[in-house]
Amino acid sequence: MGVRLLVLVVLSATLMVVDARFESLKPMRSQLGLVLTPFYWLADFPVRMWDGATAQFTSRSELLGENEKLKAEALLMQRRLQKLAALTEQNVRLRELLNSSSLVDEKVLVGELIGVDPNPFTHRILIDKGGKDGVFLGQPVLDARGLMGQVVEVMPYTSRVLLLTDITHSIPVQVNRNGLRAIASGTGNPERLELRHVADTADIKEGDLLVSSGLGQRFPAGYPVAVVKEVVHDSGQPFAIVRAVPTAALNRSRYVLLVFTDTRTPEQRATDSAEAQEKVDRQAEQKAAEALQNEGAGSAPAPVATPAPAGADAPSPAPTAPAKPATTPAKPAATPAKPATQGERR
Amino acid sequence: MIGLRPRNGWVIWFSLGLALLLSVAPLPDFMEVGRPLWPALILTYWVLALPHRVGMTTAWLLGLGVDVLYGTLLGQNALILTLVTFLVLNLHQRLRMFPMWQQSLVLLVVFGLAQLVQLWLNALTGNRPPTLAFVLPALVSALLWPWVSVALRGVHQRLNVN
Repeated sequence: MGVRLLVLVVLSATLMVVDARFESLKPMRSQLGLVLTPFYWLADFPVRMWDGATAQFTSRSELLGENEKLKAEALLMQRRLQKLAALTEQNVRLRELLNSSSLVDEKVLVGELIGVDPNPFTHRILIDKGGKDGVFLGQPVLDARGLMGQVVEVMPYTSRVLLLTDITHSIPVQVNRNGLRAIASGTGNPERLELRHVADTADIKEGDLLVSSGLGQRFPAGYPVAVVKEVVHDSGQPFAIVRAVPTAALNRSRYVLLVFTDTRTPEQRATDSAEAQEKVDRQAEQKAAEALQNEGAGSAPAPVATPAPAGADAPSPAPTAPAKPATTPAKPAATPAKPATQGERR
Repeated sequence: MIGLRPRNGWVIWFSLGLALLLSVAPLPDFMEVGRPLWPALILTYWVLALPHRVGMTTAWLLGLGVDVLYGTLLGQNALILTLVTFLVLNLHQRLRMFPMWQQSLVLLVVFGLAQLVQLWLNALTGNRPPTLAFVLPALVSALLWPWVSVALRGVHQRLNVN
């Protein structure tokens, strides 16, 4: 019995060291994860059943109310989106002027939460997207309100996400108001982040929004992370104590967004958007031509002849569009037609 | 025991699978801290009841399953469950004679030790819980032991597992 214990203990110790120090066990682990994921599905089953049942029996008036609310929300969002599309284009062009390769648009994938780490002292969740969906190690994860964390383990159909508030997690942030940089570390409390090494005299105050700075090369820049809750100036301490509340609903969100950063260069993106623009223009021309054709029933050949040169003309202004701002940077005149290209870029 | 062929072994595996399931079942936040050590509890019953069938190798394999499920270092829970099984195997002849409350008391010590090792290994990988709450699961498990034991004995005798 003692011998067997010794063998098993040594085996476990070796496994632990290998797992902690080397990468060689990762594939085996992810395969094992594939076998054991159904446990999470099963364990979560009652919750999903309950959700399904409540959805089934929601009263009609509640649904109507919710519908009304969502419609109003959609309207508000659309209004903001209209503005955003123009601003995004403008931003892209201004950045191109600055030769900066920063990205504005990223591709996202929606994942669903299927499990929470049973250990109450770690903040990790399991989501239903994995290696087969293109999820990769270190991928940023968001919810509708802000950054949630990053992927730390990828299995074929699921992956594990480390949340911002885990005690082992830190993220580089910026104060949105003035660009002050800092590191926000998790505290093990789902409602609390702490900023490390902020000078006592730094310009930071209650209510400041902290956004990701992108300096760690892991999270995309500009996503909201937390809101400063209190700043304590203690003359006995070398640094100010800054506490913040994460904007993401870390322990409430059921749906998460996985962000894929766009790897195209600014030139490529400019060409792509120009091409998309060209296509849209051509379609518009064609539609106009068809309308003309329907109206002018007698002279059929004439309208057909006109759209052809117009279509050929269309591409010439489009490719120059990205270059145009070089002379007039803040000119928004070229933007109104652009929002249509948004769909093509994603 | 001698001369009996293994019978209804699936019951053991099924109950261990159930233990894995229970160990990841969602719980309200305030109960999460005191989540019972289901794999250790159910394993302990089978080790006490059928020491010739369920031993340290079974415990080790179950522990590997827990590790994958929890995403901890491979081998961490395997090591802990092996240690628990070793202690219970060493004590099993005495433990079987004890009344229920005394069994619970001994198991409290065993599970407490297991949680201590868990804490130590977690500290090695850099996340040490800041409170003493890590002993709570051991206490809850020890309190649950009589019920688990009675329930499993019922299943054991009804299905004549050997």
